[in-house]
Amino acid sequence: MKRKLTALALGLVLALGLAACGGGSSSSGGSASGGDAAPATEAASGSSTVVVAMGSGFATLDPGRVYEKYPPLIVNACYENLFKFYSNDGEPEPCLVNDDYTFSEDGLTLTMTLKDGITFASGNAMTSADVAYSINRCKNLKDNPSFLADTIESVETPDEKTVVIHLNQPDSAILSKLTYASFAVLDSAVVTENGGTDAADAAEKDTAEAFLNTTSAGSGPYIMTSYTQDEEIVLEKNPSYWGESSNIDKFIVKIQPDSNTQMMTLSQGDIDVAMNMTDDTMAELEGKENIIRIDAPTKTVGFVMMNMDEAIGGPVSNPDVQQAIRYALDYEGLKTICGNGSVTPYDVIQVGFMGSRGERPADYQNLDKAKECLAKAGYENGFDIDLKVCDLDMEGVALTDFAQKVKEDLAQVGINCNIVNETWAGGYGDEYRDGKLGLTVMYWGTDYNDPNVQLEFLPGGVVGLRAGWTAEMDPDLAAMYQRAMEATDNDDRGNILGNIQEAMYESGPFIFFAQASSHMAYNDRLVGVEVSDPYALDLTLIKLK
Amino acid sequence: MDRLRFLLRRLVYLVVMLLGVATMVFILTKLIPGDPTVANLSQRALGDPEIVAAFRAKYGLDQPIIIQYFKYIGNLLHLDLGTSIRTNNAVLAELGRCFPATFELAIFSIIIAAVFGILFGVISAIKRNSIIDQIVRAISVTGVSIPSFWFALLVLFFFYYKLQIMPGPGRLGNMFSAPANVTGFYVIDSLLEGDPAKAWDAFRHLILPGCVLAAFTMGLITRTTRSNILDVMSTDYIRTAKAKGLSGTSLILRHALGNALIPVLTVIGLGLGNLLGGMVLVETIFNWPGVGQFAYESVLSNDFPSIIGVAILIALNYMVINTIVDILYGFIDPRVRIQ
Repeated sequence: MKRKLTALALGLVLALGLAACGGGSSSSGGSASGGDAAPATEAASGSSTVVVAMGSGFATLDPGRVYEKYPPLIVNACYENLFKFYSNDGEPEPCLVNDDYTFSEDGLTLTMTLKDGITFASGNAMTSADVAYSINRCKNLKDNPSFLADTIESVETPDEKTVVIHLNQPDSAILSKLTYASFAVLDSAVVTENGGTDAADAAEKDTAEAFLNTTSAGSGPYIMTSYTQDEEIVLEKNPSYWGESSNIDKFIVKIQPDSNTQMMTLSQGDIDVAMNMTDDTMAELEGKENIIRIDAPTKTVGFVMMNMDEAIGGPVSNPDVQQAIRYALDYEGLKTICGNGSVTPYDVIQVGFMGSRGERPADYQNLDKAKECLAKAGYENGFDIDLKVCDLDMEGVALTDFAQKVKEDLAQVGINCNIVNETWAGGYGDEYRDGKLGLTVMYWGTDYNDPNVQLEFLPGGVVGLRAGWTAEMDPDLAAMYQRAMEATDNDDRGNILGNIQEAMYESGPFIFFAQASSHMAYNDRLVGVEVSDPYALDLTLIKLK
Repeated sequence: MDRLRFLLRRLVYLVVMLLGVATMVFILTKLIPGDPTVANLSQRALGDPEIVAAFRAKYGLDQPIIIQYFKYIGNLLHLDLGTSIRTNNAVLAELGRCFPATFELAIFSIIIAAVFGILFGVISAIKRNSIIDQIVRAISVTGVSIPSFWFALLVLFFFYYKLQIMPGPGRLGNMFSAPANVTGFYVIDSLLEGDPAKAWDAFRHLILPGCVLAAFTMGLITRTTRSNILDVMSTDYIRTAKAKGLSGTSLILRHALGNALIPVLTVIGLGLGNLLGGMVLVETIFNWPGVGQFAYESVLSNDFPSIIGVAILIALNYMVINTIVDILYGFIDPRVRIQ
């Protein structure tokens, strides 16, 4: 009897094991084919399906409401905008409109005509009314991206093809803003039918989000056919796409937040693109056949903020102390924390943006000069100070890791930081926005892909004020904000942005220490896979070899 | 009649308890520092008073807390758990979406844990102090003490990545689309759809996460079964049975195991309740869209309607399971029925 019991136990274990490993259809990807990545297509139904794994943490796919990192990836594939970034470091180019768009002399009116033959996936023809509806809806929803429409006074549609955007102030970033997912052109008939409205009371009356979370209503090359929350989004080719179609019939976008999981599923051929890799998981893929790795800088930038108000910042409000800290930081070390592909921007404008002055010299750190600056400020023996940091991370790297490094660097010149941890939602966020933080380490993700987003760091700007840096403290620099906003000529704007960087290079309450890096890996049967700041990954540019 | 009265009493108790849980969690979400507005709006949107005001009005955050509370409880009495601040969907619908995924995995795990836990416990008791006993005890201690997220990565690495004999993360392979939602259990829904291959695939996807989650409860069940059998074996009626000439194993299975199972049933119930609350890390690693992930995202967003919804769900799980366990006691031990 005892033997029978033991045999029963062993039998159960064996049965479960056999059931698990036994035949039947090979499941998720089914590449029991040895170490190298087989294309996910082989396992997925259909001959040209591509599986992409991306992170989680987004709330909506309604174009009028999206603002997080990943939804633009989906919106960009299913909808189209008046303008689009066809390369990561390029300029916005016409997408739905003809090349002959014009700005009025005062820069307050942008006139465009829609290309001929554009139809939505529903079969409806796109008209200027759809464009006006989409912009007005985004503005009136009063949701996260509505601020993008702040400079838009009104949208006029004199005929079915012509769109006239009236601005309430010159906005040299308007073309970049129009590329953003929130200004994707919606099929207004379909959206209205499903509860959408662009009226002034859209914030209360619009109920189209649930519909737009499960399907798409755009003119893009793909249609969202299903969204299983926290699992996957399926995009299928739009059969009536007006433009040139890709040779990929279907994208399955898996929501896979864990980078180890992505590494394993890519290696096994269950996915084709892994978007959330880390230095460690990238190293695991080294030498794997059929897998290509990309390390590239993003435009998300980490910075040290020192409050200019002496009552809040104490010693760090002193310009000489600020310069001492600038000299004391080990930029190479901070870049290492970010991972391969990271760069240190020259200053406020990130590498990759128009007008960027490139990178800060690698040998900028100079402890002797830092000590000299401290002595000049009257702090030859250093000082103690709180360094507040919150629980957020910059592209997967905890801000506390940067704070620890800053603390170590500053200790070398006698500045002893006491790291104070707070949660973003539990108080830090309020203190940060209200300009109550003396010394902190924070990051800034670009709201839209244009260097003008960085103008908020200028004195009197949204972020400048968080550091107690008012326009009166540096009127010349503050005036450059408006000049950059008004410069619709790219050369002029580039020059102004260059001057801003020179002015802030060794002055002011911000030190930009590193641009976060993005690590992606993909199966080499694909071409066109690139890190994209505006779209996270531009699915419309990916093709099968 | 007694049983009906017992069930009615439990039902009233359940409603009162749920209201208590909702009140407690509501107060806690208001007491802890953190503002849903800050957690859910972008930095730029937070700078726009109009957007902030619209957001606060939409979710009733502009009302005094006491009004928010009574509104919430009033809605709760109509089975309305409110709207998720993070996803803008009804919390009930969100729980209805993610709970079946967790439930399917939890049921699978608890079956593994119970079957193997009791089996190993019995073997360990029969073979007390033998090498088999030592091995089983080592396994149960390992199961109880191993961090689940690490174990999850480990089994995924070996069985999926290295040996390639098990499916990867997720509930289904890429070649299958989710079955039409009837029960929310992919295995059952696939069978209802008439697609046994999809059902088999869904079943195979349950195995690795199911075993990882089962490890902890199985360890507890093994240890509880073993120690209770050994306790029962030292009672008078067993000694009498032995004196009458009953053999060891037969004695254990027919006479000792029944009595020893009552505490084991409690452990199984608690284990199931624990699993139904969702396991954030294991769900994340196995890409399992269950209650754990939903709860985690809700906490990050200070999405208090969802947090309260999850708390009510967990409390409800425990209460229902405890009621079932209490009823099962009666089946296992007639003395409980008499009491």
